[in-house]
Amino acid sequence: MIRLTIDGQEVTVPQGTMIVDAAAKLGVDVPIYCYHQALGPLGACRMCLVEVEKMPKLATACTTAVSEGMVVRTSGPAVDKGRRGVLEFLLINHPLDCPVCDKGGECFLQDYTFEYGPGGGRFQEPKIEKVKDGPINPFVLIDQERCVLCQRCVRFMREYVGEEQLLLEGRGVETVVTTVEHEPATSQFTGNVIDLCPVGALLSAPYHHKGRPWNIEREESVCPHCPVGCTSKITAREGHVIRMEGRPIPDREWGWLCDRGRFGYDFGYHPDRLATSIVKGKENTAAQATRQVAEWLKTVVDQEGGRGVGFIIGGGHTTEEAYQLRRFAAEVIGTDQLAISRTEAGYLPRGLNGTFDDVKQADTVVLLGSDPYDTVPVVHLKLRDRLLHYPALRVIGLGPLPLTRDTLPGLDVLVPPGQESLALALAMAAQWPQNSDVQTLVGSLKEFELQGVTAQTLVQLGQYLQGAEHLVLLWDGKEPEMAMVLGVLARLREKPTAVLPTFGPANWRGYEHAGFSPRFEDLTAVLEKARDGEIKILMVFGADLLREYPNRQLVESAFNQVEYLVVEGILPPQGAQHVDALLPGAAWAEVYGTYINMEARLQVAMAGVQPPGQARPIKTYVNTWARMLMKPLNWDEEWDPFDDDSGDLLPFEPVPDHVVALAMPPEAVGPMTLVTGAFIWESGQPSEILVPRVPQFPGRINPAEVKDMGLSTKRGHIMVSQGSESIVVAVTADPQVPKGILWVPQGLFGTNHLIEGTVTISGVTEEVTV
Amino acid sequence: MLDGVKAMTKGLGVTFKALFEPRDTISYPEKRREYAPRFRGKHMLAKDVDGHELCVGCGLCEAVCPAHAIRVVAASAPEGQPISWTNRYAVDYEVDLIRCIFCGMCEEACPTNAVRLTPFNELAAADRLEMIADKEELLHPPVRK
Repeated sequence: MIRLTIDGQEVTVPQGTMIVDAAAKLGVDVPIYCYHQALGPLGACRMCLVEVEKMPKLATACTTAVSEGMVVRTSGPAVDKGRRGVLEFLLINHPLDCPVCDKGGECFLQDYTFEYGPGGGRFQEPKIEKVKDGPINPFVLIDQERCVLCQRCVRFMREYVGEEQLLLEGRGVETVVTTVEHEPATSQFTGNVIDLCPVGALLSAPYHHKGRPWNIEREESVCPHCPVGCTSKITAREGHVIRMEGRPIPDREWGWLCDRGRFGYDFGYHPDRLATSIVKGKENTAAQATRQVAEWLKTVVDQEGGRGVGFIIGGGHTTEEAYQLRRFAAEVIGTDQLAISRTEAGYLPRGLNGTFDDVKQADTVVLLGSDPYDTVPVVHLKLRDRLLHYPALRVIGLGPLPLTRDTLPGLDVLVPPGQESLALALAMAAQWPQNSDVQTLVGSLKEFELQGVTAQTLVQLGQYLQGAEHLVLLWDGKEPEMAMVLGVLARLREKPTAVLPTFGPANWRGYEHAGFSPRFEDLTAVLEKARDGEIKILMVFGADLLREYPNRQLVESAFNQVEYLVVEGILPPQGAQHVDALLPGAAWAEVYGTYINMEARLQVAMAGVQPPGQARPIKTYVNTWARMLMKPLNWDEEWDPFDDDSGDLLPFEPVPDHVVALAMPPEAVGPMTLVTGAFIWESGQPSEILVPRVPQFPGRINPAEVKDMGLSTKRGHIMVSQGSESIVVAVTADPQVPKGILWVPQGLFGTNHLIEGTVTISGVTEEVTV
Repeated sequence: MLDGVKAMTKGLGVTFKALFEPRDTISYPEKRREYAPRFRGKHMLAKDVDGHELCVGCGLCEAVCPAHAIRVVAASAPEGQPISWTNRYAVDYEVDLIRCIFCGMCEEACPTNAVRLTPFNELAAADRLEMIADKEELLHPPVRK
């Protein structure tokens, strides 16, 4: 630790701290443009000049590390003169168009000029004209005239994200920030440069000219699209959400968002947004619709008892709403048929669930079938952050497709689809052959040979698994047996082992906390009971089962069989003809509540706007129904999801140590296997703003597979069939994908018409350029 | 008695004196008073010589207004059809003339000199809604009869 004096106050900071951070610890504000804690020192803007005793000239506080006994003055005639000079230079070619600049009012150039700057400039020459409102991509605009060349954006993209898409071009006063080859930036993280830009150079295109700091309201929120649950801020004006910003939390979050989360906030204003209740295909008043549903519930409960009613929750509901629904189901209806709309079969016990702190300490990361860049982008950024601090980070991808990337290089172990848990178990058997749990696991796999993986690779993988000091595994939740294998691995390793589940829905842990069963088997059981006529009335909240559930036939037969299908949501679900009552619900940002993310961390999202039309939160519905069924619910004791000793993390639960032998996988028969996976652009609610960025050809297939069929360009449509069902998928030929694999995002193209496994492809059509 | 007559004479003396003095009131609306050249009445939004609006919808008037009487909604101008002199313009500009205290801070804050307070002060309406001046109304300031 080092002691130094800043403005007469003594402070003790660790070695290597920059003066600017030491000053921040004392609450002394040093103006900065180029320095950002996540990006490290650069010293490009010269704004942070301070006076250090025994140094001949002013020093930049962001690049000067503290030393013992240092005496720093952050104000005084010399410092003021230096800063005044820097600002005069920065403003030489600045257009001074604050009235039309979106940053006006929250701009560091304005603030520092007001505080430290000269009253006027001495330059009479005409200002240099550069590009104004040029696009970086459809979401980010650049005004090169306003840029102070701090390089935060360039360094963020190049060093932090690792995708070099922004650069400095030109020399001297003609230097500008632009995209590489003037092509639109395609990274998943371009929106962050808007938050990073200290001046009005990088602007959000959807927010362009929409608000001003004094006529907007900011509410702290949590991004609702994927299980990462990034901390964010809503900007609302006149009852409309018009912007999302990152919300940094000291020592925990940098406040990064992916473009999906940052610009996908407009789903509440989708043209199809439900604002009226629809009963039997006819628009109805809210009172009549709720009364009608209550009558149905009463009829069924009178005839069948509570077990005639099934509840399925999904979508972006809060933990509190799930709790209110669970209480209604248990106390008023008297049913325990409560399920979560899951897309994957796996479930992760709370005891294995790691946090993002584990990512910050990890030395080995195993991606189990999940590519974080495409499923949970901000976790990819967190891994990049770890890679920057710990370049020896070992990344291992284990899945049917390569999961590592240029930005996150590592070893890829390709296994046949659905055999990741077997591969992991065999690697463990190679490393811990004597362990009884492992012997039980691989007991029936004596004859089994993993295709395409050598014994050497498994031994290597086993060594990595044992040798890792801090192991983090990202799991896509596809194979239910994996949880058991991971439990054995965590017990064997005796060193920190953290699993992060990347599957959805975003708040599934919250629904579990509220009392819904998170297990896929229970969802299937509810649907099967509905198909078999045991459940007469199916209440679906927020879920679009025909799109989400992997087996579409089961959902369709269940929907056909139930007497009443009641769906609450913010958008009409697929198969609206089956729905007896469609009730408009309140969306994210319209209701206050808690979301629990993939770390099992509780995070509060405030409400910023009012729900439109008849849309209302679940509590209103269940209260009305409870009153109509003459069993009013008592809300006197408020349920607090935080009510425990473990702070904002869910309480720890021991991992079940039940181990059974893994089953032999079925023999692969066909030459082509369908693999589905989560895809950030289609998970969550659809957004109109994002349309230009959503990939049009998201399917991936090896070029050799489609070449014979005449697909000469990189993209096209292929017909995929299985039995009597067939779908058309828009694919990109990707040499990274191994032969015999067709990867399709789940939920798009009606993928759930087919079951994962052997398919045949035919009928290629080339990309049609419109 | 004599005192009473004295007092009455004095009082009536004032009355008769005032009767022949010039009048302080004027017969409005046939006659109108001259106002000070910088009198602050109803607002207007000015245009430049090319007919483009000066207002860019920056919202500073909204921010500075002590009575919260102004609402500004800005937007980007459609491509190739400039509405103001730059690519940003005010879609909505409303002044609530019931709330307005005619302090002139908006005029003072306006960086483009678009908001101006005219001498027009004949503000009366049968309906509260008519007292909210929208952008169209402000762009065509009334001329005093």
